[in-house]
Amino acid sequence: MHKIQRTVTVVSNSKVCPQYYRLSLDAGSAVNEARPGQFIHIRVTDGVEPFFRRPFSVFRAAKTMDILYDVVGKGTEILSSRKRGDRLDVLGPLGTPFCEPAPAVRQVVMIAGGIGVAPFLIFSDFLKKKRVEKILLYGARAQAQVFDFKAFRKNGVEVFASTEDGSVGVKGRVTRLFGKIRQDPQTTMLYACGPKPMLAAVQDFAKGHRLPGQVSCEEVMACGLGACLGCSIPTVSGYKTVCHDGPVFDVHEPCF
Amino acid sequence: MNLTVKIGSAVFPNPVTVASGTFGHAKKYYDLQEVQQLGALIPKTVTLLPQEGNPPPRIAETAAGMLNAIGIENPGVDVFIEKDLPALKKIPVPLIVSVLGHSEEQFLKITEKLNAAGGISALELNLSCPNLQKKNLVAQDAGATSSLVQKVKKISRYPVIAKLSPNVTDITVIAVAAQDAGADGVSLINTLTGMLINTRTRRPVLGNVTGGLSGPAIKPVALNMVYQAAKKVKIPVIAMGGIMTADDALQFIMAGASMTAVGTGNFVNPRAPLDVLQGIKAYMKKHKINDIVQLRGSLILP
Ligand SMILES: Cc1cc2nc3c(=O)[nH]c(=O)nc-3n(C[C@H](O)[C@H](O)[C@H](O)COP(=O)(O)OP(=O)(O)OC[C@H]3O[C@@H](n4cnc5c(N)ncnc54)[C@H](O)[C@@H]3O)c2cc1C
Ligand SMILES: Cc1cc2nc3c(=O)[nH]c(=O)nc-3n(C[C@H](O)[C@H](O)[C@H](O)COP(=O)(O)O)c2cc1C
Ligand code: FES
Repeated sequence: MHKIQRTVTVVSNSKVCPQYYRLSLDAGSAVNEARPGQFIHIRVTDGVEPFFRRPFSVFRAAKTMDILYDVVGKGTEILSSRKRGDRLDVLGPLGTPFCEPAPAVRQVVMIAGGIGVAPFLIFSDFLKKKRVEKILLYGARAQAQVFDFKAFRKNGVEVFASTEDGSVGVKGRVTRLFGKIRQDPQTTMLYACGPKPMLAAVQDFAKGHRLPGQVSCEEVMACGLGACLGCSIPTVSGYKTVCHDGPVFDVHEPCF
Repeated sequence: MNLTVKIGSAVFPNPVTVASGTFGHAKKYYDLQEVQQLGALIPKTVTLLPQEGNPPPRIAETAAGMLNAIGIENPGVDVFIEKDLPALKKIPVPLIVSVLGHSEEQFLKITEKLNAAGGISALELNLSCPNLQKKNLVAQDAGATSSLVQKVKKISRYPVIAKLSPNVTDITVIAVAAQDAGADGVSLINTLTGMLINTRTRRPVLGNVTGGLSGPAIKPVALNMVYQAAKKVKIPVIAMGGIMTADDALQFIMAGASMTAVGTGNFVNPRAPLDVLQGIKAYMKKHKINDIVQLRGSLILP
């Protein structure tokens, strides 16, 4: 029924830091289709427990299709036990990607909360050749969520970190790093992904300084295709589906 | 091999369709060649006026199934006819349009608009709608079902299918009421009302508090209801409720169903409707059955 339903093979699946795993999939031509901000919808079991597929942002799409994930429940637990050579039923890449920064933009600001960092590696791959300042403001809970940012730096991204316990970078939430943002509506562009309260803080900041931006939102999903209308969130222009209209929305659009 | 199914004057090339509300408008994702193999398409229920739907969360998973309280989010029949119908008509698969009114008058207005639009094979009346007299659902009241079906049937240029709710004491009473009022077919089952509570927050999981249970969890319930209803009515039965595989669909056909629909199964496996169709064909070939009619109601009792 679906031209983007594929059975893919696990190439590797291992921890990049105490809390996050990186799963690499041999996904054939799907890697060429992936755009920053899109997700893949993984059926973690052949059975019906857990019942829904699980959505994960594309972390990188080069030779393999990679996701970065946090084990938070039964679905991600099962995923973490998948080994090289295992097969997975995957839909995607799906959803509306981040937009390219406008030509006038001089500073691209990526704001990530925890696992919300996932879409930004592929994004920085796409921005690599753009001669603009690129910064990643990464807010983690603790060192267990901090991995090697070498791949970001290779793409010309300057990385700033904050941790709630102060174990790495500035102590506190990611908002403590907002001082790095150039507050010029014409030349600054914000991109954010993370928990809802963080996205709400980014929205407030963007409103206050009249900055343009985009946010990547989350909601529990069933179909992932805009069919069931189950993942709708309220926005200034009515309910919109996270899977199809999003997950990326204009920063001013969602009603958090 | 003959797989065709007739419902009233409408003819469907095979007995596999998709349940209303589970097959998307996101056309760009669907491989048209594959969609073209289906026996019918049933898009999301349309109402007279646009409905924005329920507050989130609208869905939750549960053991072998899900709860949903979408709230029939839809653009209303006028926008449906203008924007969605032209694209749906281009797909060479018979179209069954699911409709819901908040009163008999609304059902009749929708029917008139769809009569004028053309290109539709049948109407499916979603009877899980308010019964204004008794404050229950039309699907829970034989009299209201009969009255509504009769009125729509009188003006509809298309065959009329009544979609029944399982949230009743005896679904066969409603099925017979629909048949006697002139319905050309009945489809069942819609979702079973349920709820879930988050014990951490002590709040309902769904924004709407309650929702409809669907998926494999409800299959045995649906199968029994289809079996009971098919024994009582002569009109074709469209069966749905937890169908994920060809074996599931074959069970419904053996219980007496003329058509089968994949609903929630689409979310887990978008290829499920095709798998079901291919599996039915394979079964027929293996058992040297050349007409689906021979399978229908072929259950052997102890
Ligand atoms: C567009 C999108 C992209 C995502 N990208 C990533 C990613 O790159 N890496 C990653 O680790 N996670 C990502 N997520 C979240 C991920 O889908 C959930 O963590 C996962 O579904 C949890 O499954 P589980 O069975 O392990 O947990 P469950 O047992 O289902 O739940 C455990 C906990 O996680 C919460 N949860 C479950 N599903 C979601 C969800 N969809 N969104 C938010 N919270 C949820 C539950 O409320 C519960 O508290 C993304 C979600 C969306 C919608
Ligand atoms: C997300 C969702 C939306 C639905 N929307 C509708 C609808 O708009 N109209 C309708 O008649 N039934 C609707 N249904 C019910 C299905 O069409 C079907 O009757 C029911 O889910 C049982 O089949 P299943 O277990 O295969 O899903 C919906 C079901 C789900 C899960
Ligand atoms: S998950 Fe079905 S519409 Fe988004």
